[in-house]
Amino acid sequence: MLHYNSRHMHHDNGIWVSADDLNREDKFLQSAEREFSLENVDQTDGKWEASRRDFLKILGFGLGAATLASCEIPVKHAVPYVSKPDEIVPGVANYYASSFVNGGDYCAVLVKTREGRPIKIEGNTLSSITKGGTSARAQALVLGLYDTKRIKNAGSVANGEVQTKEWAVLDREIKAKLAENGNIRIITGTILSPTAKKALAEFTVKYPNTRVVSYDPVSSAALLAANEQAFGIRAIPSYKFEDARVIAAFDADFLGTWISPVEYAVAYAKRRKIFAARGGKMSRHYQIESHMSLSGSNADNRILVKPSEQGAAIVALYNELSGSSGGPKLNEKAAAAIKKMAEDLRNARGKSLVISGSNNVAEQLYVNKINELLGNLNNTIDFSAPSYQRQGDERQLAEVVTEMDNGRVSVAIVWDANPAYDYPDGDKFKSAFAKVGTRISFSGTMDETTALCNYSAPKHHILESWGDAEPKAGHYSLIQPTIAPLFSTRQAEHSLLEWADSANLNRNDEQPYYQYLKSHWASDLFAKQTKFGTPAAFWDMSLHDGVFEMPAAARSVSFNSAASLDASAVTQPSNAEIEISFFETVNIGNGQYADNPWLQEMPDPITRTVWGNHLLVPVEYEGKKIKGWKGLIEGDVVEVEVSGKKLTCTVTPTFGQMPGTVAIALGGGREKGGSGTGYGVNVNGWTKVAGGLVQYAGVANVSDKTGTDALYACVQHHHTMGVQVQEGDKKVNADELEFFEGALTNRSVIFQTHAKELEKMGEKMEEFHAETTHLNEQTLYPDNKDYFGTGVKWGMFIDLNACVGCGACQVACVSENNVPLVGKNEVRRHHEMTWMRIDRYFYGNLENPRVVYQPMMCQHCDNAPCENVCPVNATNHSMEGLNQMAYNRCIGTRYCANNCPYKVRRFNWLDYTTADLWPGNEEKVFHANGDDKPFYADNLVRMVLNPDVTVRTRGVIEKCSFCVQRIQEGKLTAKRENRALTDSDVRSACQTACPTGAITFGNLNNPESSVNKARKEAGVFAYKVLEEINVRPGVDYTAKVYNSNESIS
Amino acid sequence: MSHVVSPLRHVLIEGNKSYHNITEDLCSPTEKAPTREWYIAFLLSTAFFGLYIFTIVWTVWKGIGVWGANRTINWAWDITNFVWWIGIGHAGTLISAILLLFRQRWRTGVNRAAEAMTIFAVVCAGQFPIFHMGRVWLAFFIFPFPNTRGPLWANFNSPLLWDVFAISTYFSVSLLFWYTGLVPDLATVRDRATGFRKKMYEYASFGWTGSAKHWQRWESLSLILAGLSTPLVLSVHTIVSFDFATSVIPGWHTTIFPPYFVAGAIFSGFAMVLTLMLITRKVLKLEEYITLNHIESMNKVIVLTGTIVGVAYLTELFIAWYSGYIYEQFAFYNRVFGVYWWSYFGMMFCNVVSPQLFWSRKIRRSIWWTFFLSIVVNIGMWFERFVIIATTLARDYLPSSWSYYSPTWVEIGIFTGTMGLFFFLYLIFTRVAPVVAVAEVKSILKVAGSQYIGPNAKHGHGHDHHDSKSVPTHRTEEEA
Repeated sequence: MLHYNSRHMHHDNGIWVSADDLNREDKFLQSAEREFSLENVDQTDGKWEASRRDFLKILGFGLGAATLASCEIPVKHAVPYVSKPDEIVPGVANYYASSFVNGGDYCAVLVKTREGRPIKIEGNTLSSITKGGTSARAQALVLGLYDTKRIKNAGSVANGEVQTKEWAVLDREIKAKLAENGNIRIITGTILSPTAKKALAEFTVKYPNTRVVSYDPVSSAALLAANEQAFGIRAIPSYKFEDARVIAAFDADFLGTWISPVEYAVAYAKRRKIFAARGGKMSRHYQIESHMSLSGSNADNRILVKPSEQGAAIVALYNELSGSSGGPKLNEKAAAAIKKMAEDLRNARGKSLVISGSNNVAEQLYVNKINELLGNLNNTIDFSAPSYQRQGDERQLAEVVTEMDNGRVSVAIVWDANPAYDYPDGDKFKSAFAKVGTRISFSGTMDETTALCNYSAPKHHILESWGDAEPKAGHYSLIQPTIAPLFSTRQAEHSLLEWADSANLNRNDEQPYYQYLKSHWASDLFAKQTKFGTPAAFWDMSLHDGVFEMPAAARSVSFNSAASLDASAVTQPSNAEIEISFFETVNIGNGQYADNPWLQEMPDPITRTVWGNHLLVPVEYEGKKIKGWKGLIEGDVVEVEVSGKKLTCTVTPTFGQMPGTVAIALGGGREKGGSGTGYGVNVNGWTKVAGGLVQYAGVANVSDKTGTDALYACVQHHHTMGVQVQEGDKKVNADELEFFEGALTNRSVIFQTHAKELEKMGEKMEEFHAETTHLNEQTLYPDNKDYFGTGVKWGMFIDLNACVGCGACQVACVSENNVPLVGKNEVRRHHEMTWMRIDRYFYGNLENPRVVYQPMMCQHCDNAPCENVCPVNATNHSMEGLNQMAYNRCIGTRYCANNCPYKVRRFNWLDYTTADLWPGNEEKVFHANGDDKPFYADNLVRMVLNPDVTVRTRGVIEKCSFCVQRIQEGKLTAKRENRALTDSDVRSACQTACPTGAITFGNLNNPESSVNKARKEAGVFAYKVLEEINVRPGVDYTAKVYNSNESIS
Repeated sequence: MSHVVSPLRHVLIEGNKSYHNITEDLCSPTEKAPTREWYIAFLLSTAFFGLYIFTIVWTVWKGIGVWGANRTINWAWDITNFVWWIGIGHAGTLISAILLLFRQRWRTGVNRAAEAMTIFAVVCAGQFPIFHMGRVWLAFFIFPFPNTRGPLWANFNSPLLWDVFAISTYFSVSLLFWYTGLVPDLATVRDRATGFRKKMYEYASFGWTGSAKHWQRWESLSLILAGLSTPLVLSVHTIVSFDFATSVIPGWHTTIFPPYFVAGAIFSGFAMVLTLMLITRKVLKLEEYITLNHIESMNKVIVLTGTIVGVAYLTELFIAWYSGYIYEQFAFYNRVFGVYWWSYFGMMFCNVVSPQLFWSRKIRRSIWWTFFLSIVVNIGMWFERFVIIATTLARDYLPSSWSYYSPTWVEIGIFTGTMGLFFFLYLIFTRVAPVVAVAEVKSILKVAGSQYIGPNAKHGHGHDHHDSKSVPTHRTEEEA
C-alpha cells in the first residue's frame, strides 16, 4: 500500500488502479491517504467512537474468536500412502514368521503387524520345538522394540552416553584399531545362528588373533561338559518329558527357566492333562530343591534338600539305583524320600527322566549315569537332534578376563552379553576390561558393559533384523524384520562383516545382511535338504513357515566308561546355619529382560511380587500364626552378607522354602538397565566359582529386620487354600484367617485331589453339581437359559492340570489389549490393571505345600452381578454371552468391581494411559526410570498399542473382553467367506500364548468345538468357580489332580 | 394445631413464657450481632469447608487414585461417609413427620433444627456418590432423560439408580417441609425487621399475613408433606441398604439390611440432633424451649434404636452360623476377628453397649453424659458402615484378591471437609432463621384457658399439683 502514500513512489511499478490514479488527481490522492477513513461508517462526525452496534459486533466477534481459539484441538493429520505397499491394508493385520532369540532363549513366533508396526507375538505352530507355545519373555518382545531407551546411533561412548558418529567414521576408526594386530576377543552369549557363526568365522579369518568366547547368563557349562565326557557330545539332549512317567528334577526349573522351558512345558503337559487323555497314566514329578521354583510348584513331590546337599542327593539316588554306598551325607528325611523315589524310577525303567540344573560336572556325570542305569538313554534322553540352546562356558570368559587383566587384549567386542553385570566378580571384570584399548559393544540398549565401552555399534532390535537360528540340530528357524529399523542401528553380523572387509557382503544392497543370509541358506542349507528343487523355493517356503526342519537320523549314545564318577567332586554339604541359593526368574532371567516393563510388572508366579528381587525366607508356624523366619514379614528389609559382601534386601516369606535356607533371584539391581534400572539388588557378586564354574549357592548371614521397604509391591499376599500344620495330635489349618474348619479349604474355587482318589472325587463333584443346580433353580426370575441356545455362545475352558503358571498368557493379554503398566508404587497400592492374572494358592503341608495355579479373568457370567448394578448400563450382556464394557458410557461408580465375585474388574484410578485432555495429573502414573514424562506419553511407546482395542481413559472400568476384537475379526472372516465360524477363526490371546494348551476358547453352541469337547472330556470334574451363587460363568475349570508318592511325608 | 394436654404431663416449655417472650427469645439470635463463639465456629467450619473444596478439586483433577481404595476394596471411606451422613439426615424427617403423626408434642422444640440438620446432612451425603465417580463430569448419565444416544436410558435395575431417586426425593420433600414450616416464622422476623432485612424476609416469607386462610392452607400443606415424608423416612435408608443387600458379596447380601439400616439411621440421626441441640440451646440460650424432657425423650429413642441395631448385629451373626454357608460364615468371622476387628469392636461398643447407659434416668437427663454418648454413637455408626463396606470387601470369595485398605490424606480431608460444610451451613442457618419453630412452639403454649397448666392458672383442676410438678423439673435441670 506504500504507493498510495507518496506521489514520488507512485507508479514505480507502472501499475495504476483507476483513471484518477493515473492522472494523480488531488481528490484521489486525498482519499488514498485516508484509505482507512471512517467516513463511511455510521459515525458521521468523523470521530472514532464505538456505537452500540459496533460494540456488540466486536464483542460478538471477539467472544466467538476467543471461544474458537480456545476450543482448538491440535489436529494430527493422517497422511495416506502416496503409493500403497501391496501387503498393507489398513485395518488388516499381517503375520510374519520369525523367531524370538535372545542368547540361548528361543521361541518360534509369528509377528503380528498392523500398518507396518509389529504389535503382538504369536507362537508358530509349525515349529516342532515350541509347537506354537510362547513364553512371557517372547510375548514381551514387541515392547522392547519401542523402548525409548534404545541406543539410536552408532558412536563413541563417554560417561554412559553415546556420542553420535557416522557409521562410516565408526567403521574407519574401528578397522584401524583392529588392524593393529593385537588380540581381539569377542565375548558373546550362546549363538544359535549358523549364519552369524559364519560371519564370525569370516571375521576370525581376517583377524586371526580373534577368539570368540561364549557364556550364558545362567550357566549350563557343567551339563555340556558332562555330556561331552559321558557321551562325546557337547550339547544338550532332547528331553522327552512326554514319555516320562517319572520325572526327577534336581534343582532344574525346566518349566520356568532351564534351557528350553516352552518346549519342556509343552511336552510335560501331555502327561498332566489327565482328563483329555483319560486312562493315560499321569506322570509323577519329583523336584529336589530348597527354594520353590516354578517346576517345584508343579511337582507332585518336592524333596527338600539344602543347596549344598544337591550333590549328596544325586549320589544318594545313584547309590540306591546302583546298590553302591558312600558319598556325602544327606538329611535323613530327604534320604528316605530319595529311596522311595528310586523305587518309582526303577519301576518306570526307560520311561523316566532324571535331570539336574547343577553346574557341577561330577554331579551331572552322576545324573547321566543314573539315566543310563534307568535305561533312559535313547528313550527319554535323545541325542538324535541335540539342543544348542546353551553353548556357553564361563571358564573361557574367565580366561579372557585374565588375558585382559594382563593387558594382552587390545580389542574386545561384546555381543549379546553383559559381563559387567553378571560376571561373578564384577569388579574384577570391570578393572580388566578397562585395560583393553578398544572396547566395542553391539548392544542395542545402554547396559552396564556398553557403558564401559568406548564404541557402541548398536544392533537392530530382533524385530528389525534378519537372521536365523539353529536351536536344535537340523531345526532351522528364520528371523525376518517386520519393520524398517527405527533408528540408525545396524546388525551385529553386518558390522562384523564390514570390519572384516568381507567380500561376501554386498554393501551396495539395501539390506546387505539379508543377501548374506540368503546366500548362506542357498549354499549351505539348501544342499542338506531334498524337498525343494531350487534355492529360491527353499528360501521362500522357509521364510513363509519361519522354520525348516530336517529329519534327524536316530543317534544312540551310551555312557562312556572312561568317564569316572567321583563322589568327592560333588558339592559337599555345609554346616552353615543358613544357606542361600540364587535362581533365575521366569520373567527377567539374569537381568537380560530387566529393561522390559511388561516383564517387570508381570508378577512372579510364586511370590507374586513385581519390579525387583527379594530375599525369600521360609515360613514358620508359631503361636497359631504363620510368620516368616525370624518373624520377618513381607516388605521387611534385612542385611545379607554372602562371602563378605553385604547387600540390603527386601524380604518375602515364601512357602516351600526349606528351613535353614534362603534364596534370592538373579537379575535385580541393574545399574544401567533402561526402564528396569534400580529395582532389586544384583546378587551375581554372591555367586562363587568352583572349578571355573559358577555355583548358584552359598552361605549367608542374614541380619534381623533393619527397616521396611515402603515400595514393596505384591499382588497376592499369603492367603492359602488352607495349608496344614500338626498341632498336638491333629492337623489344623495354619492360615491366620482360617477361623473354622473348611473356611478356606472348602471354597468352591479350587477342587483338588490325588489321582488315586479320582473316583471318589468324581462322586463328590457330582454331588456338588447336583447341589448347586438345585440351589440355582431357587429363583423368582424367569430362566434365560434358552436365550443363549442359538447362534454363538462364547465360553472358555481352563485345565488346571495343564497350567504350569508360566505367565505367558498374562503378558499376551497385556500386549493384545493395551493393558496399561502402572509402575511399582501403583501395584503396591493394588492398582494393577491386568485383565488376566494367575492366582496362586498353596495347600497341603505347611513346610512343603503343593501349589495350584488358577488363571483368572472375567468369567463372562450369564447372570452377571456386575451388569445389573451399573446405574448407566455401561456393562451389559451380548447375545453371544459376552459381558461387555462400553467405556464411553462408564462413569466409574465401581459398583461392578465390588460386586464381582472374582474381582477381575480393573478401574483406571489415575491417568495411566495419558489419555486425559489435561496433563498435570500424571506424576503418579508409571514413569520409566529417569524419564520426565509418563511412559505412555511417548509416541514411540504408543506404537505398541493394538489399534483394534480402545485405550481407556482415567475413571473407567475395564476387564477381559474375551478378546472381542478377535471375535469380531473371526466373525467377519467367516462371513466374508460365507461359512460357519470354526474354532480356528477365533482364538483368544491367552489361548494362543499358552504353551501347554491349558486354555481353550470357542463356541459352546457348537458341539464340535474344542471347548465343548474339553468340557465333555473333563465330565464331572469340570466346574465353574463359585458355581453355587448362580452367576453362571462362561468359564469352566477342571479339578486339579496330583499324583504324589503318598509314602513320602 | 390445637391440642389437648393431659394435666398429668409436664409442661413442654419452661420458664413461664408468654407469646411475646417466645417471639423475643427465638427471633433475637437472627437480629443481634453474632457472638465471638459463633465467629470462631464459623471460621473453623469455613476453613474445613475450604479443605473440602480443595480435596474435591484434587480428586477430580488427579483421579480417584489419590484415594486409598484399590482393585478389591473399590468403595471405602467415600461410601462409608455417604451412608453415615444419610443416616444422620434421618432424624429431621422422623421428628417432623412421624412424631407429628404420633402427636408427640415435644417435637416442636427440636423439629426445626433437626430438619435443617437433615437437609445439610443430605447435602453432605450427596457429595460422596457424586464425587466418588471416576468421571464425575458425566454424572448426568444417571438421569433418565431423552437423549440422542439411542436413546440410552439409565439402568433401572441398579440400586445406585434407586439411590438417585430416593435421595433426590428425600432431599426435595425435606427441603419443602422445612421451608413450609419456616414461612410463618420468617414473617415474624420480617415484622420485627427494618430496611433491607425486612425486604429480604418479605420475599422469603412469600407475603405471609397470618390470615386464617393462610394458616389453614399452611396446616394442610404441612400435613400432606408429613404424609409424604413418613414413608420416605423408611424408604431412603431401605434403598441405601439395597446398595449392599442386592449384591452377591457375602456380608452384603442380607435380607436384614433394610430394617437394620433404618433403625441405625434413626439412631445416628437422633444422636446427631442431640449433639447439635445441646450446643445450640446453650449458645443461643434456648434451655427453656429445648428442655431436659426433650433430651430425655430423644435418649429414649436412642436406647430403643441402639438396641434394635444390636439385635440386628446378633441376628446377622446367628444367621451366618445358621446358614451353613462357608462364605457367609467366613465373612462374619472376618468382621469380628479379621484384620479390621478393631472397627467391629468399636462398632459394638459404641452402638450397642454405650446407649444402654441411658436406661439410667440420671444419665438420660445429664447434659454431659448425653453429649458424650451422642458423639460416641455417631462414631459407632461410622464404624458400622466402615465394617459393612471395607471389611466385607477386603475378604470376599477369592483369597487371591484379598487386600487391605487405609485412607489417604485426601479422603480424610474430604470427610472432615464435609463436616466443615455441614457446620458452615448450620451456622448460617442459626443466623438467618429461628432455630426453634416459633409458630409451632406457640401452639403448645397455653397462657390461659382450661388447658392451661402453668403457674398462673386461674381455673381448672389440680393446678397446684401441676404447678408443683413443674418446679422439680426446673430443679433437676439446675442440678444437672
